[in-house]
This record gives sequence, C-alpha cells and structure tokens, in this order.
Amino acid sequence: MATVRHRAVSDNSAMRPVRTILLSAAPIALAVGFFGASFGVLAVAAGLPGWAAVLMSVVVFAGSAQFAAIGVIAAGGSVLPAVLTGALLNVRYFATGIAVARALPGGRLRRTLLAQLVVDESFVLGVAAGEPGRPDGRTLVAVGALLYLTWVAGTTAGALIGPALGDPRRLGVDAAFPALFTALLWPMLRGHHAVRCALAGAAVALLLAPFTPPGVPLAGAALAGLWLSR
Amino acid sequence: MALPLILALVLGLGALTFVLRGMGPFLTTVPVVITSRTVGLAPALLAALVAIELTNARGVLHPDARLAAVIVAGGLAALRAPLLLCVVAGAMTAAILRAVVP
Repeated sequence: MATVRHRAVSDNSAMRPVRTILLSAAPIALAVGFFGASFGVLAVAAGLPGWAAVLMSVVVFAGSAQFAAIGVIAAGGSVLPAVLTGALLNVRYFATGIAVARALPGGRLRRTLLAQLVVDESFVLGVAAGEPGRPDGRTLVAVGALLYLTWVAGTTAGALIGPALGDPRRLGVDAAFPALFTALLWPMLRGHHAVRCALAGAAVALLLAPFTPPGVPLAGAALAGLWLSR
Repeated sequence: MALPLILALVLGLGALTFVLRGMGPFLTTVPVVITSRTVGLAPALLAALVAIELTNARGVLHPDARLAAVIVAGGLAALRAPLLLCVVAGAMTAAILRAVVP
C-alpha cells in the first residue's frame, strides 16, 4: 500500500497535460529540426537523392547513425560498412529500449512500435519526468513523436535546399562531418572511462586505416569500445 | 548511387535500428550487466569517425582544413554551444581556410 501511495504522490509529472510536455520540449524540437535540415543538405551532397534522405529519416530516426552512414558513403565507402557503422552507433538504443519497455503502454507489439520514438533527447526528458528506474511513458511518447515530426520535416527542407547551395566542398560541407562527430562526442566525454574508450577507438581506427578497407577501422574501434566497457 | 544500393543503405539501417530499439518488450529479463557493456561503444565509434575523417585516401593522418573544423567545433562544444552552431562554425572555418590558403 505504501508503494501505491508513493507512486500516486510522486507521479505528478505523469499528470502534466501533453501540451505542457510538448512546450517544454519545443527548444529541443527546434534544434532537431535544424539538425534534420543539415542532414538533408549533407545527404544530398554525399550523392543520395532527396527522397532517399527523407526516407532514411522516416525509417531510421537517429541523427548520429544517419550522419555516420552518409559519412562513410561520402568518404567512398560501400553500403555494408555504412549500414554497420550506423547500426553500431544505434546499439545504445538496445539498452534504452530495455530501459523504457516497462514504461510504455499497451501490449508487446504496441510497445515495440512506440519504442521507435525513443531517441537520446526524448529518453533524457522521459527519465527526468519519471521515477528512478521507470521513465515517464507519456513524456517518452509525446516528445518522441514531436521530435520525429520535426526530424523528418527538417530533413525534407534540407534535401530541398541542398542542391541550391552549390559546390559542397567550397562551403566546407565535407568538413561538417568531422565537426559534427566532434560536437556529438564532446558531451559524452564525462569521466575517465568514456575518454579512454574514445582514445582507444581513435587509436585502433588510425592503426587499421592504412591497411584495411573502409569500415574495418570503425569495426575495430567498436570492438575496442565494447572491450573497455566493463 | 544506384537504386538497389540506396534502398539497401536506407532500409538496411532502418531495419537494424528497428530491431535494436524494439527488442525491449521481449527482453525484460536481460541483466543490466549486459546492457551496460554498450556504454563505451558510442564514444569509441565517434572518436574513430573523427580520426578517419582526418586521414587521406591512403588512410594516413593528413591535417588540412578539416582539422581546423574539428578544433573549432570541439572548442565550441566545450563551451556548451548548440550542436548546430558547432557544425556550421566548423564548416565555415574550413570554407574560409580553403578560400584564403591557395
């Protein structure tokens, strides 16, 4: 009984109207929209047709993985290493998927579909609005749906304006990839452990790069990261 | 890119991501020990992607305008600048360097 009362009291966040939840996520949605637009521009610059860039945002909905896959293609790599690199960056969603599974409503099928709305930003807000060990399902779904729409809309806008921008190299578009990966990496470097994993990943990749085809250095870096994650 | 390759890229990554995200409801008994082993994956991969982007066609480190872009983006990220600003400033740095240095 005590736990039930505790839940009733501390679950105030779950009572928030959806409108309030969405308003609090509006700045993030704006950033995701611009991020999506930059993905659209870079994907088109990498040689992907505009519709494929939009379709990728529709079926993948994961910024860093999509950028990484496009980055491999732009650097001259083939499809398999591009897909594997993107999928490896999304392995963290395996962990968050398990973390949110019990917080989402409905049966297994419905929860599997709703789990597709979980990205880093919606996960963080869902955890912040929930209880320890139990993210707030309403926040996960509402924020996730909002970010999904802005991500796809942003990609569409970027894919449309991309071809009008002209020579991508002159604009430094190719340099946007390492800049982006650096900016994505930086906030993750909290604590010695993450720094060690990052240094090991970069070192392994640079050691393998002169001797192996594209994709192998990244796979080696992934193994190093897994190996050190103990 | 040819259409089959485009579809393999988009749908392949989409399918793998769908499975990764959607396994949760079927794996409620997976111990945290296993999922926590993936925390080092993202930093290792992103650092490797940065490093690879700074190599030339032969896979050897080759500092050029991209290195300046990385330094600018990293500096701005350290100052907690928004992601988009880091990327745009990095790209602009490379563009300006290329325009100025022949």
